[in-house]
Amino acid sequence: MKKCIKFPPTYLNQLPGFLTTLPLLMAATLLWLPANSNASEDQSYQALRDWIDNPPTGTQASPGQHLTSGDREAVLEALIPQSAWGYYFFDDMDMEITATRNYPVPDGWGGEDMDTDFAVDEAGTLLDFTGGGYPFPDISPDDPKAGQKVVQNMLWRPGANDYDMPMVTWLRSEGGKLDRVMEYTSTNATYARGKESLVPGYEEVKSKQVMEFRSPRDMAGAKDMSIRYVDHHKENSGWLYMPAQRKPRRTLASERTGELMGMDMIREDSMGFGGKTYENNWTYLGKRKVLATINVSTNPEFGGPSQWVPHKARWEVRDAHVILIEPKADNHPYSHRIVFIDAETYWTHWMFAFDKQDDQLLRMNQHFLKYSEDFGTEPPEQAPYIKQDFSKSVGHKVFLHLGQVDINAKKPHATLTHCYTNKREFTAARAKQFYSLRNMISGRR
Amino acid sequence: MLKCRFYLAKFLILFSSILFPMLSWGIINIGEDIELEGFVKAHNIMKTGARPFNDGELTHQRNTAQLEGKYYFLREGTAFNRFSTGPIEEATFTFLGRAVYDSVYDLRDSYDVLNDRGKEEYKIREAFVDFMMPPFTLRLGRQQVVWGETDNFRALDVINPLDRTWHGTRESWEDIRIPLWMARGIWDIGKIGPFEETFLEVIVIPDDFQTNKVATRYPRPWAFKGIGLQDENANSVLIDNTLYDLNVNVIDSSPEKRELSNVQGGFRFKGIWNDVDFSVNYFYGFSQTPGVKVLSVGLDQFDTFQTTVEVVNPRINVFGVTASYSEEKYTQSVIRLETTITKGIPVSIAAGAPHRADPDGDGFDTAHQSVVMIGLDRPTWIPALNSLRTFFLSTQFFWRRYLDYNNYYQGSFYDVRPAVVNGSVVPDRFVSVNNDKLDQDEFVITFSASTSYGRAGLWKPQFVFAYDPRSTGAYNKIKMEYLYSKSLVFAAEQHFYWRESGDDQGPWGLGSYLGEPGIRRNETVFTATYQF
Repeated sequence: MKKCIKFPPTYLNQLPGFLTTLPLLMAATLLWLPANSNASEDQSYQALRDWIDNPPTGTQASPGQHLTSGDREAVLEALIPQSAWGYYFFDDMDMEITATRNYPVPDGWGGEDMDTDFAVDEAGTLLDFTGGGYPFPDISPDDPKAGQKVVQNMLWRPGANDYDMPMVTWLRSEGGKLDRVMEYTSTNATYARGKESLVPGYEEVKSKQVMEFRSPRDMAGAKDMSIRYVDHHKENSGWLYMPAQRKPRRTLASERTGELMGMDMIREDSMGFGGKTYENNWTYLGKRKVLATINVSTNPEFGGPSQWVPHKARWEVRDAHVILIEPKADNHPYSHRIVFIDAETYWTHWMFAFDKQDDQLLRMNQHFLKYSEDFGTEPPEQAPYIKQDFSKSVGHKVFLHLGQVDINAKKPHATLTHCYTNKREFTAARAKQFYSLRNMISGRR
Repeated sequence: MLKCRFYLAKFLILFSSILFPMLSWGIINIGEDIELEGFVKAHNIMKTGARPFNDGELTHQRNTAQLEGKYYFLREGTAFNRFSTGPIEEATFTFLGRAVYDSVYDLRDSYDVLNDRGKEEYKIREAFVDFMMPPFTLRLGRQQVVWGETDNFRALDVINPLDRTWHGTRESWEDIRIPLWMARGIWDIGKIGPFEETFLEVIVIPDDFQTNKVATRYPRPWAFKGIGLQDENANSVLIDNTLYDLNVNVIDSSPEKRELSNVQGGFRFKGIWNDVDFSVNYFYGFSQTPGVKVLSVGLDQFDTFQTTVEVVNPRINVFGVTASYSEEKYTQSVIRLETTITKGIPVSIAAGAPHRADPDGDGFDTAHQSVVMIGLDRPTWIPALNSLRTFFLSTQFFWRRYLDYNNYYQGSFYDVRPAVVNGSVVPDRFVSVNNDKLDQDEFVITFSASTSYGRAGLWKPQFVFAYDPRSTGAYNKIKMEYLYSKSLVFAAEQHFYWRESGDDQGPWGLGSYLGEPGIRRNETVFTATYQF
């Protein structure tokens, strides 16, 4: 016979004082519905498609020029994707334009150590590739799998790993109100290096990462280790060590669409696209010239009415592959995602994701990079809590990630991150020790 | 009523850091080698008994200051920036100190009888040195070691005892485990055969044995006083309708601290096999829950019922296996498993048991006990409740079984009640009755859900539910934490106990008897934390 769980009668008489108000409080919290933001600009998917397909005409940005809001129509609207206009154009804006450069790849990149024995399946998923170069150095716009190939190049780009990356993240509401600041460090190593693995015997591993929080104190000491595999079909392995539990906990990798720790990003937004190629439909939309903070002098300050976007930063006009990504899953929050990936370096510059409910902008991100060979003459800012020797980065001929802007247009809210990235090369023995499950059973406390 | 201005001053000093916010908000660096962090927390608990907010009683005003530090005295093979240390690549010294002052003791006259027991605590809780000599690491000092996959139930997590004196097991176990002096060595092996990420961990606790701490003095709000009268002790026995004075002599035979013969230790081999994260564990120690041997009972020449009992902590052997697996395709869940067999669990045997059930005649036995825990963790979308973030759902099914059970095993829920002779209550005379019979199989199911709300996820609700399907006793916690600023965190929570039917207490501390007059453990809790 079915039983009903019920409170003892004594409780029923006594609960109202507290528990009748509790649902009201919870409902009030749940109904704290997001307000729409920055409606002065058209942030629809269609508007961005129109901007891509029919670029506004404008005069060229010249090296040495400082672009301001007065240059909006003449120069900027043609070079900043339309969905971002509402954030990136503001009264005292200042974008320094520098000459478009070529950035050499690391010595030996795409050389004899590169894995050339690989394939692509029907869905455009890369099979059996172990790195050492771009899997698809030539992208043909007529190739029906061009979109997937550009993204695979992005996922296997040089400099994607092998660094120490102390970070500071600011979570800001409109008007610049600071809601939370977090400090954490990511350390990352490439295992798959073409024909050899960093650690012999670990040929199935693409890369390993350990990330540890430093502040605020309610998160300090929390650390996460994740293992990415060369087999794109295999989900990452992950463990989370929480000091309050004093033990690691296995984590799930396949849920990639929920916002993390109050930040305005989902895991799938990482570097524009951090998901699985076979879970999406792909369209290559061609190349567009965009402004990109591809080689900033240092970690840029933030400006604008809400302090959400880079200000007084150095920008470069870059050719970018434009990829349209449409999730296959009905319950995915995005209808469309458009990613601008540098045509030479395969680093992501801009990402725009549109809400499945109304095709309006939901989230976007934009990235700040710096070329390693400039670290010697023009070192970036030091992290506020650790000093690093940036000369170690020189000679690697890779880009290092100096930060990003993530905006949730619907809340509206932004997450701004400065990365103080420095190259780090692990020996096989050290990598084996550092990126081990053993290292996850204890932490700061 | 305030008894003393001194204590008020102390209270204010303790909380001056809240009144005068510091500039720092993360880990504080002192030079390049020392890091400090910590918090100051005001913890106010109100017993709401059976009438929430109508019948409230402030039970705790526990103010805690905690300081944690790490000193990196050896980096990259050089100690103190001077001395080469050969194979030792890195070493750190970590300490964690805690000061507690419960100001409710100065506000409540009824706590005077406690003679300040539980009022203050000043301790270096943890202090250890880590040495790294790849592939070996060694941690020496006072520390916590946690094994197993189970949350908040004891199976493999039995190395450190628990301090349940001030708030039972309702606090984070990190804060109520009693750190022990021990050595913990790890050999990082890596890949061997079909196993990946393997390591062997060995712990040795040379002489630091401590039992679980449980308060027994009324009116401490979490004193274990059975299920009957909370403010009285049994002072009589009733034999053949005649009341006799009771005198209990206790011989404490628990292992002496600081004796090498009390060594405890164990090992864990952990690794990954076919994406299954597993461990094999063994621990040789003492039961942290004592058993009671009845050495003698009987009336003396003064017609006093004399009972002599011996408190013992028998040796235990714990064998355990754990596994966890992230099932990404069908359930999108992390499946956790933990199973143990423990030899040496102390149990009581009911008075009057036949010889076959109690061959020693001392009302005491040690049992073999198995535990199986299966748990699931799942980040889950509930769009109607949260369109931005998933809920983290976690559930556990915990099954404990006495393998060599006998029908006379007795639990610890004794009932102190007024002595009744010939139908009349005898003033100031109380007897203790124990009708708590242990079941061979014990079950409990837990469920928790948490998520975050607000643009920056600063509102963090949590819901906890535990249910014993046999006794139908249950427990709920509803909590809302608000990260007000980078330094200040507020939380409000409500705990309540209820049952579906019957009056069996069950073994888990669940059920409405905990909320009823006398025990009254339904609680409303407010905390304010200043963290740095």
